[in-house]
Amino acid sequence: MVRLITHNLLACHVKNCTSNNFPLAFKDLGDTSLPAEQPDMIDDEFLQKLHHVLLEIHVEEGSMVCPNCNHVYPISNGIPNMLLAEHEIG
Amino acid sequence: MPTRYLFVFAQAHVDFRIPELVSIAELNGFAIIFPDIPEERDPTRPFMILGLEEDEHARILARRCILVKSIYQFYARGSSYEEMHERNRDVRSQWSQYIPDTSFKFVIDGYNRSITQSRQREIINSFSYMAMMGKIDMNNPQIILGCFEERAFHSRRTSKDPALLQVYFGRLIEEGSARSLIRRFDVKRREYFGNTSMEAEMSLLMANQTLASPGKLIYDPFVGTGSMVYTTAHFGAQVFGSDIDGRQMRGKDKQPGIIRAATQYGVASRIMDLCTFDVTNNPWRCGELFDAIVTDPPYGVRAGAKRLGRKKERQFLQRSTCPQPNDAPYIHPTKPYELSNLASDLVVLARYMLKPGGRLVFFLPTVTDEYDQLDIDSMLCEGMTVIANSLQDFGSWGRRLVTIRKTTTAKFSVPSFDADSIETGHVPAHKGFRDKFFQGFRKDAQDTAEAES
Repeated sequence: MVRLITHNLLACHVKNCTSNNFPLAFKDLGDTSLPAEQPDMIDDEFLQKLHHVLLEIHVEEGSMVCPNCNHVYPISNGIPNMLLAEHEIG
Repeated sequence: MPTRYLFVFAQAHVDFRIPELVSIAELNGFAIIFPDIPEERDPTRPFMILGLEEDEHARILARRCILVKSIYQFYARGSSYEEMHERNRDVRSQWSQYIPDTSFKFVIDGYNRSITQSRQREIINSFSYMAMMGKIDMNNPQIILGCFEERAFHSRRTSKDPALLQVYFGRLIEEGSARSLIRRFDVKRREYFGNTSMEAEMSLLMANQTLASPGKLIYDPFVGTGSMVYTTAHFGAQVFGSDIDGRQMRGKDKQPGIIRAATQYGVASRIMDLCTFDVTNNPWRCGELFDAIVTDPPYGVRAGAKRLGRKKERQFLQRSTCPQPNDAPYIHPTKPYELSNLASDLVVLARYMLKPGGRLVFFLPTVTDEYDQLDIDSMLCEGMTVIANSLQDFGSWGRRLVTIRKTTTAKFSVPSFDADSIETGHVPAHKGFRDKFFQGFRKDAQDTAEAES
């Protein structure tokens, strides 16, 4: 169950992949409850939506793709595999 | 002026008692006043008299500390019953309010020698000068008065009557309730565990050292089967786990084993996530994320410590960059991760990943005869300070629960983990722990091994 808060903390760490390596791209998640910009007023309703998006949406199967080097980090049973191959470590 | 309280400790892990009390006091923002005389704060003794501001603080400690059996308001003590009674008469003002109409009962207990029923009755009767008027209620008394005798350690053969060291007397504030958690987190009754799972009591003690509480974010970089995840999450923290070997976290079923066990304990929603990666090649996009890092690193006996890479640097293989044939999964090459390198890397990683004031709590195995304070000091780096170091002794070896606080607010760059190149000059006792363990810690065997290599 990759939660979005986790997704927010992970960046691609392939050797020399240092720019545009965050955020990793997800497949379309279909949740549009959050506004695109941070609202001026932070009220309970907004915080609840934020909590839902960050902590209650889990990605069970799929992958995260680096927008820069296109490394694919597969997710299986909710556990992302962030291991790097031999040629990718520094 | 703080009130004095009599702490009765459980007979386990003596070296962990004081660090646990200090941690829980810090977590709740109050202070514990320790006695000035060294032998009165000797952690190997089962009773200790400590100063606290109010009863509520004692209750907080009794509800959270795993090693506290009970806490009494301290009335009197002495090296004999006569001395204790005399001093108890002097503090009459402390207990006189209970004389007229308070139901009560007595609890009599001995350390290093049990007390017979008839002797217990004698002791209770010796308190008759207190002239308690309330009724005796064995089931539901308003107050419980406790009298404890501490006797010297003895062997059964040499003496049936070990010397009386001290008698203590007080009124019960709260029975320790955290010890029941040991049963709750019993590994044998857990949905998912492995051969590297940490025993319940120790994982609870570790959770207390992290100051786990609601709103905290805690990370285990060698999560394995997740032993510390459950206890830290139980105390309200959000926990994150990673491991180089995903199989340890997953187990056999589709739903990962750690999630199954967390569901059993009702804390699945507080497992933030589990990730497969090598901590020396980690994907964290920034530092200062966590309030605490807690871990039992692999030291090569049950589980081999590994990191990505190859044992011997060899010619770059074109093959590894090519796509694998058809459906063959890519096997990540790993190399051993020597314990002393792992330990000092862990401290550097923690300094980068912890918020200022955050704690690193981890176990370090060590060889009893060779251990030196310098072993711990030499793996520290600037801004990381040891605040507790408790030994669990297994005889020829032991493991130390080390608690380190990040005392700096300085920013650090991403650590590189090229520990091989760092020369400290000091060889710690835990270096090459695996080899020493399998040689039975024999000095001659080590010397030959060194000569051969």
